[in-house]
Amino acid sequence: MSTESISRRQFLGTVAAAGAGAAVAPAAAEARPHPPGWRGDERVEQIATICEMCFWRCGVLASVADGHVVRLEGNPDHPLTRGRLCARGNAGTGLLYDPDRLKYPMLRTGKRGEGQFKRISWDEALDFLAAKLKAIKDAHGPEATAFFPHGIGSRFFGTLMSAYGTPNSAEPSFAQCRGPRDVGYALTFGQPLGSPEPVDLESSKLIVLIGSHLGENVFTSQITAFANGLAGGARIIAVDPRFSTAAAKADWWLPIRPGTDIALLLAWMHVLIGEQLYDRDYVAQYASGFDQLAAHVKAFTPEWAEGITELPAAQIRETARSMGAAKPAVAIHPGRHVTWYGDDTQRARAMAILTALLGSWGRKGGIFLPTSVPRGSFDLPSFPDSARGRADGVGTRFPLASEELGVTNGLVDATMTGDPYPIKAWIVYGQNVLESIPQRHRTLKAIEALDLLVVVDVLPVEQTNYADLVLPEATYLERYDPPVVVTTAKQPFMSIRQPVCEPMYESKPGWWIAKQLASRMGLEAWFPWNTPDEHLDRIIEPMGINGRALRSRGAVAFAGRPYIEDRTEDDGFIPTSSGKIQLYSEELKDAGADPLPRYTEVEPPPAGYVRLIYGRAPMHSFARTQNNEALHALMSENEVWLHTATAGEHRLADGDRIVLENTDGGRSRPVRVKVTEGIRRDCAYLVHGFGQGGRGLRRAFGRGASDTALMSRVKVDPLTGGTGMRVNFVRPVPAEPAV
Amino acid sequence: MARYGMVTDLRRCVGCHACTVACNAEWDVPAGQARTEVRATPIAGTFPALASSVFVSQCNQCDRPPCVNACPSGATRQTASGIVSVDKRVCIGCGFCVEACPYDARHLDRQTRQVDKCDFCLSRVERGQEPVCVATCTAHAKYFGDLEDRSSVVSRMVFENGARRIETGEVAVGPNVYYAGLPEQLDLVAATFPPRHPRMPASATVWRRAFKPLMLTAIGVAFAGQAVAFFTQLKNGEKDFED
Repeated sequence: MSTESISRRQFLGTVAAAGAGAAVAPAAAEARPHPPGWRGDERVEQIATICEMCFWRCGVLASVADGHVVRLEGNPDHPLTRGRLCARGNAGTGLLYDPDRLKYPMLRTGKRGEGQFKRISWDEALDFLAAKLKAIKDAHGPEATAFFPHGIGSRFFGTLMSAYGTPNSAEPSFAQCRGPRDVGYALTFGQPLGSPEPVDLESSKLIVLIGSHLGENVFTSQITAFANGLAGGARIIAVDPRFSTAAAKADWWLPIRPGTDIALLLAWMHVLIGEQLYDRDYVAQYASGFDQLAAHVKAFTPEWAEGITELPAAQIRETARSMGAAKPAVAIHPGRHVTWYGDDTQRARAMAILTALLGSWGRKGGIFLPTSVPRGSFDLPSFPDSARGRADGVGTRFPLASEELGVTNGLVDATMTGDPYPIKAWIVYGQNVLESIPQRHRTLKAIEALDLLVVVDVLPVEQTNYADLVLPEATYLERYDPPVVVTTAKQPFMSIRQPVCEPMYESKPGWWIAKQLASRMGLEAWFPWNTPDEHLDRIIEPMGINGRALRSRGAVAFAGRPYIEDRTEDDGFIPTSSGKIQLYSEELKDAGADPLPRYTEVEPPPAGYVRLIYGRAPMHSFARTQNNEALHALMSENEVWLHTATAGEHRLADGDRIVLENTDGGRSRPVRVKVTEGIRRDCAYLVHGFGQGGRGLRRAFGRGASDTALMSRVKVDPLTGGTGMRVNFVRPVPAEPAV
Repeated sequence: MARYGMVTDLRRCVGCHACTVACNAEWDVPAGQARTEVRATPIAGTFPALASSVFVSQCNQCDRPPCVNACPSGATRQTASGIVSVDKRVCIGCGFCVEACPYDARHLDRQTRQVDKCDFCLSRVERGQEPVCVATCTAHAKYFGDLEDRSSVVSRMVFENGARRIETGEVAVGPNVYYAGLPEQLDLVAATFPPRHPRMPASATVWRRAFKPLMLTAIGVAFAGQAVAFFTQLKNGEKDFED
């Protein structure tokens, strides 16, 4: 047999192609994800599911051919996102087919942080973990195991942890994100805002963004609503030290001195009340504490605020009047990541009070109301009580923190100090403790004190190097998660995540891992179902939902009652104890805090330093997407924004590579400078999520600077435990020569 | 006959890059290359009086496309509905059209070494679907339709609401991609991303004048040869070269 063996038909075919001029291009070396013309091919199956490139939970339609996902698109049947999908959602196959994925269970063999592991089987991994958890429980009590979850997939692990007996569970979505906001709004209106935020951007006449950088911060349906609002003529007030995408669209850009937002909010209230521009009927009917508020803000004139915020008094007055004119269709966006300066619950309170003064809560163009719908559930045995209570400070150190979401940094503190009792094990699922929790040096110290660190993840992010056991999870496209009920949409809905393909490598879905562990630990009573299908059917059966329709469309919607006029007497929308909006908060007074928000002095940057602020880019989510091929190609590293004058002082030109050094000597990886007029002189800005330390992330490793790594300080909100993260100061220093 | 056009509303657009990623995924465009790109003007002005705008670039499907003239193989063609498309069976990857495009909207695909560009998702449009960038746009900032149909959304945006195309007095080749936005925003975009003079390499002219007919003849000869071979084979039956 000759290797040159070639049939005449093949030979002729080659000649013919050359004759047509198409054979000039050699065959592509890289595999293409799908052949042209795949669309419309009857072998392509479409499966509806929920995205997890971020946490907004948009509807996705996966096109699958022979078990291969060829394309992800928006699901037109999804009540919230209606066929639209952002850059990250469109790039989801890049996560599924990322060659850097965690592929099999691994047990650490080297020192923590070295990244030395041996491959083990799932049976070995699960036996090891079940035995370890039992030993820790026997020796130290179940509370010595702490759980760090994130995302809807974590709920099966949550059940496992509760059944095991630990109350210690904390998500960064509270103390590093929206906790103080939800507490501030709940103190005022009786309920937190939730997620997605029920901001009626699309019907608004005036959108007020306080540090929210919509556009760079992209959640599909929120961008749709924002753009619809703009097209409908909404004006924008953008309060931001940086000239954001939203500021470029704004009618007023207010480049406020960082940390002084409460002074601005108080001055706005001063004008609205002083000039009788607030919604008097609404306040009289629905609110209490107005007289105290009016007396409180009397001294807070725009001139007073000018000296603090560095915004002209005339501009403060003008913007307040524009709100008075547009009320009640004024959307004061509550923000999402709000843990900035440690007074964040009070800032959220000030924003909530302003919303109430404008009559915007429950009104078109303001904040719309959530509609409660049956969540669907089935009975599980009750969970064991914890004798020792929580270690993260919820209800004690942090009196207003959330029972449900916990305080991550409270668990770090307890693990480091052993107070109130020793924590010996962490189970981390779907969160990245080194990137999401500031003061990384403390997190690492806490990890050193552990007997067991388990990381359940999809990618080899840096924290996996510190784990004793790494469990490779299936991505969102390969797994079933518990159904999601969203009440904060004009049309509330239930939607489902279901696998669109088989898990790759040896990865396993979270539900399977949790259930396997439960059966090894004698906790199977909390997992009384055999398959995901059975789990879903048991949830939706009492709701009367057609399982087939839900699975094929991906979501079912219910009727919403978003505005006050949709509500009846017994369908109240101010579930405070008094039934009134609490402009003045007795609860805060009882907690020893200011019952009305007050501006507290913010520390200025030391000479030669600027304040480090940070945010997002539309093509990346947190520190989750930097290794994604398509998204990496759009933004492979971040750059540090410095004002022209600040750059000039340091003799820096646009594009120079420098290192950022904070006041504690902490240094970033090298990062390029963006010299711009679009930021205050006293600030430096980084997009979050870059400068990652996981060597296994071959695209993302070491690219750009990590803002988290420069957060050696925090200012903790005493009410919620939220970590104020905009309290670090940095200066540019020369980048060390590349090694 | 329809005359297809697209309008991008820059007041709505936030620059989220969904269009680029969706387009790359739909058409297997390698990461780092793109048929449509999201850009932003540099921030202009002095703090705090500043201005900038997002911008989305793609093939303008020009009425008088310089790329068609530059193409020696006849791969780049204009359909009757105005869409300029590349026939991948014919493209030889010479790149002359890339040089010729005043909007830098073409690239040589690094995998196939052939030219690639936006064709308004021609095959989707033929099936009655929207281009993918329009379908996925989170801000509902992109509109596609028939400019000849005065009731279409794109027509109304262009003929009633002042959507503009990006051209200059010197380079006016009849683009069919329009931009809606505030007047000063459109001025800024037009000044920042003006079309450039088409670069027609001398060789391109030579190609067009001399080699193009030759090339087409060569292709014809190849086809004829193939036909002869085919019929010869039919007559003589298949023989393997295998020893």
